[in-house]
Amino acid sequence: MLLWTVTTMLLRVESVDVFYGVIQALHGVTLEVDKGEIVTLIGANGAGKTTTLWTISGLLRPTRGRILFDGRDITHLPPHERVALGIAQVPEGRRVFLNLTVMENLQLGAYLRKDRDGIQRDLDWVFRIFPRLAERKDQLAGTLSGGEQQMLAIGRALLAAPKLLLMDEPSLGLSPVLVQEIFRVIRTIRERGVTILLVEQNAHMALRVADRGYVLETGRIVLSGQASELLANEAVRKAYLGE
Amino acid sequence: MTTGRSAFATVLLLALRYSLLAAVFAFLWLLDRAFAAQLDPYAFYLLRLIGINLILAVSLNLIMGFTGQFSLGHAGFMAVGAYAAAATSKWLVAHSPALAHSPVLQSLVFLGVTVLGGLAAALAGLVVGLPTLRLRGDYLAIATLGFGEIIRVTFVNLEAVGGARGLTDIPPLGVTPLTSHFLWIALWAAVTLWVIYRIVRCTRGIAFQAIREDELAAGCVGINTTYYKVLAFVLGAFFAGVAGALFAHDPDQRYINPDTFKFMKSIEAVVMVIVGGMGSLTGSVMAASVLTVLPETLRSIGEYRMVLYALLLIALMLTRPQGLLGGWELSWRRREEISPDDLEQPLQPHRPTGEPLLCLRDCTMQFGGLVAVRDFRLALRDGELVGLIGPNGAGKTTVFNLVTGIYTPTAGEILLDSRRLDGQPPHLIARWGVARTFQNIRLFKELSVLDNVRAAFVHRAGYSFWAAVLALPHQQKREREIERKCLALLKLFGLHERRHEKAKNLPYGDQRRLEIVRALALAPKVLLLDEPTAGMNPAETQAIMLLIKRLNDEWGLTILLIEHDMRVVMGICRRVVVMDFGEIIAEGSPEQIRTDPKVIAAYLGELTGVETTADE
Amino acid sequence: MDVTQALQLLMLGIALGGIYALIALGYSMVYGVLRLINFAHGDLIMVGAFLGYFVAKAPIAEGLPLPLRFALVFASAMLGCAMLGVLIERCAYRPIRHQPRLTALITAIGVSLFLEYGGQIVFGATPRQDLPLWLTEQNPLMQIFAVQITDKHLLVLGGTFTLLALMRFLVLNTLFGKAMRAIAQDMTAAYLVGINVNRVIALTFALGSSLAAASGVMLAMSYPKIDPLMGLMPGIKAFVAAVLGGIGDLPGAVLGGFVLGLAETVVGYFASGLRDAVAFTILILILLLKPTGLLGKGMVEKV
Repeated sequence: MLLWTVTTMLLRVESVDVFYGVIQALHGVTLEVDKGEIVTLIGANGAGKTTTLWTISGLLRPTRGRILFDGRDITHLPPHERVALGIAQVPEGRRVFLNLTVMENLQLGAYLRKDRDGIQRDLDWVFRIFPRLAERKDQLAGTLSGGEQQMLAIGRALLAAPKLLLMDEPSLGLSPVLVQEIFRVIRTIRERGVTILLVEQNAHMALRVADRGYVLETGRIVLSGQASELLANEAVRKAYLGE
Repeated sequence: MTTGRSAFATVLLLALRYSLLAAVFAFLWLLDRAFAAQLDPYAFYLLRLIGINLILAVSLNLIMGFTGQFSLGHAGFMAVGAYAAAATSKWLVAHSPALAHSPVLQSLVFLGVTVLGGLAAALAGLVVGLPTLRLRGDYLAIATLGFGEIIRVTFVNLEAVGGARGLTDIPPLGVTPLTSHFLWIALWAAVTLWVIYRIVRCTRGIAFQAIREDELAAGCVGINTTYYKVLAFVLGAFFAGVAGALFAHDPDQRYINPDTFKFMKSIEAVVMVIVGGMGSLTGSVMAASVLTVLPETLRSIGEYRMVLYALLLIALMLTRPQGLLGGWELSWRRREEISPDDLEQPLQPHRPTGEPLLCLRDCTMQFGGLVAVRDFRLALRDGELVGLIGPNGAGKTTVFNLVTGIYTPTAGEILLDSRRLDGQPPHLIARWGVARTFQNIRLFKELSVLDNVRAAFVHRAGYSFWAAVLALPHQQKREREIERKCLALLKLFGLHERRHEKAKNLPYGDQRRLEIVRALALAPKVLLLDEPTAGMNPAETQAIMLLIKRLNDEWGLTILLIEHDMRVVMGICRRVVVMDFGEIIAEGSPEQIRTDPKVIAAYLGELTGVETTADE
Repeated sequence: MDVTQALQLLMLGIALGGIYALIALGYSMVYGVLRLINFAHGDLIMVGAFLGYFVAKAPIAEGLPLPLRFALVFASAMLGCAMLGVLIERCAYRPIRHQPRLTALITAIGVSLFLEYGGQIVFGATPRQDLPLWLTEQNPLMQIFAVQITDKHLLVLGGTFTLLALMRFLVLNTLFGKAMRAIAQDMTAAYLVGINVNRVIALTFALGSSLAAASGVMLAMSYPKIDPLMGLMPGIKAFVAAVLGGIGDLPGAVLGGFVLGLAETVVGYFASGLRDAVAFTILILILLLKPTGLLGKGMVEKV
């Protein structure tokens, strides 16, 4: 059992503390993501969800604890080396490069890759999932609608050929139609073998797509389990599902 | 004086205050006499230099530290003051020999000359400030640098004041048998400190710091940002001009030329403000003292002195960019606290008439080729609570920006009652009764919770800055009234316990609430709320929604509410407007919206209805 | 003033403008990525001029044929300044990258003062005038309508346009350039796509600083006098040129440089005392009339 865990574990965040100046944002956060899983991290605003993702990507450094990825300690690696290892992120608020074209954004997604064929293959795939990006590939990203920018942000991250995709609130501010579309895409991405750690405000949708989930409150993991268990959990229903 | 304290008591109080003033004056004079008799001339000169630099630093702090406008041209104003004063006193001495025989007359003339220097510089400040203060940050810094240089080049080319050679033999008018030049510097330093201290502390003066924290939000609570920015510039320039006049007349100086007021002089003043701490008068005083004395004591190491100065500056920025004291201020008096227990009702109930209150007629907003809002129509009736929903980028916030005057519509008109709002500046629209909150919370972060609310009273402070400087009774009374009102509002939202905390330190939900309190403090006719529940969990969302409903039910406040979460709006709004791609795609009751085929196709999706009913 | 004089004046203005353009180009590169007014840029000009001076005077250079000597002077000045620029970025600017813009500006002023006063110690405060006279003899290469065009003019203009074309290609067409623009837009997102932000910024500084060095050498050749404070005014004026053209826009910076050089030369001809006010008057006018600059594109402030 132990051996099995070791071989399938992709990411392990181990008792991580993170500070912003003197304010502690994460208190001993521990979480795991296995290969092929969709794991969701839910919690209120300011609970530390984005902080967790930024720490995994290396934008923030933990003062305590460590981060293991694919059996390697990556706690002290700079962000670009983590991308090279296979951790890509779709950041909150999309953050596409507004003054660059759609195509340039996607090219930058593959910034560290040298395999031209692989890049072309992934590009074709992204255009298959999001045909609208193909139509607009020479447009500046700033002229896209909110939904299209979200697609571009996802496409850009996919072009890094990630093993692990971190997604921060991909449904934020989208119309219900587009939210459903994005969640369909999340399933498609998983089918291609990409592991996903999903942060969502929309706990309802997130728990329905995920295998497992963690609940974060004021920087601490307070609950974890199978997604179906969390959906049934009384406290979760009350605080995050609004029932 | 209407009630309470008798006229006699008031007069007594004022008499006491002014005798205090006389005591300060007497003290400075005695100090002057003692120093003149005892101090070694070089030390005395340094002391005077400290005073002049203090005036420079404190006046620049008003512009930079409090109002947040970065100026690299302060030496230019000093130059204007120095030249105006020196030229005047040279002319006066040459034309009225009687001056030298009467110490009193000479002192009065000197006082007049320093004021004149200040006024000349203030005029220059107005001329420079009016056009350049539209700029921000780096651009403003470079533009002020440019103006500083233009002023200098002007003096180089002005033969009337000596051109590049400058003015020599400036009469040391401050020195009489009864006074030395130090007395005048000390007096002006005291005046500068007192005036700026009083101004930035009173409710009207909150305007300066509000602009520093968030200019756009300041406009939306009724603050005329241009006026206060220019005022800060003019006042800062005035005192810089006085400093220039004092500098030119110093008995050990008596000579100025354009090179005296080079770019480096401006930098020195900036460095004093930064080192002491932006927005800390105590810090400016300290920095002016240390940075005047330090280079002098380092004279022994010769040319390494300036290298050391540069390195210290870099080191300070790397380790403590907020300056030595940050925004900390020395204070010696505890403020009397108003008890939050007996406060009057902060909001006056309003009986809605149901008449159209806010009307948008075919409003279109275009940025370059991009149409953000097209033909937007809405008539908000008095007492209504209307929801505006749609995905991000649909143009909802743009509608708010149109109504509050941040943008002027490319076409169409906006009316409040029968008053045209389009084309008017935000601060007027706010004063006429439109208050708003922002999607990404725009509080005055470094100000206290109480000061955030006080900012909404800037335009209704009801007293002049003169009254604040002189601490006149009616000003003090008004201050207490305003504070009571603010506290009452804060109490209504459960925030009064945290009134002295900085806004940025409040938890997220409280920040959203504080923004609503600040908007309500304007006593608005219409309240525009931009995603007040963004980032809140369902429980918090519920609480905010109840509160919004209460504002509408109990006080009859007209509210337009932006949300992208349907369920939130459906619960409390009787009318909902749906936007997508800049256009209204549907309007009606929540029931109508839910079943509108257009809304389902473009926004809700086919599944949603099924899903939500299945889940709940 | 007859036509010949006018044309001659024009040529002078263009030569001066070319130097401003080159400085502004370097300014714009750095500003384009970091949104930092690198006050020290002007002082890198000075360091470049001194480096070129010392190399040109060194015995090794003396023996070389002229074109090689030339190349050696430029290469060593540019390399030296590139290294200095990277060092400055590493020690002074990187630690405050996420601080408010004001902090960055003050730090830049500090670095500028450090270089100026440090230069006075290292190079001495008295101006040096014994520059090797390669180009300063103004020997006319050709004559068009009685206007003498010297090798200096050709060098300045040729150098400016070659470097502009190079930089423009780099920024617009290479992956490195895309990374630069990505960092300028959103540094966090740049990290997240795997850009080694520190390296790209360091390289940008190296490029900008070597441009400063090249302009420093040209400045020294045009106005044969160098001293530790020589970079201050050209630096500030080149910033004005960059703003005039539309800051961050490379062709704009070059255009701004030429406009400024011409305006200064013409005004200086008629009223030499007002020469130094020209740049700032232009700056204030442009900021008030068209703050985005001649070629800059407007950006809508996000509310």
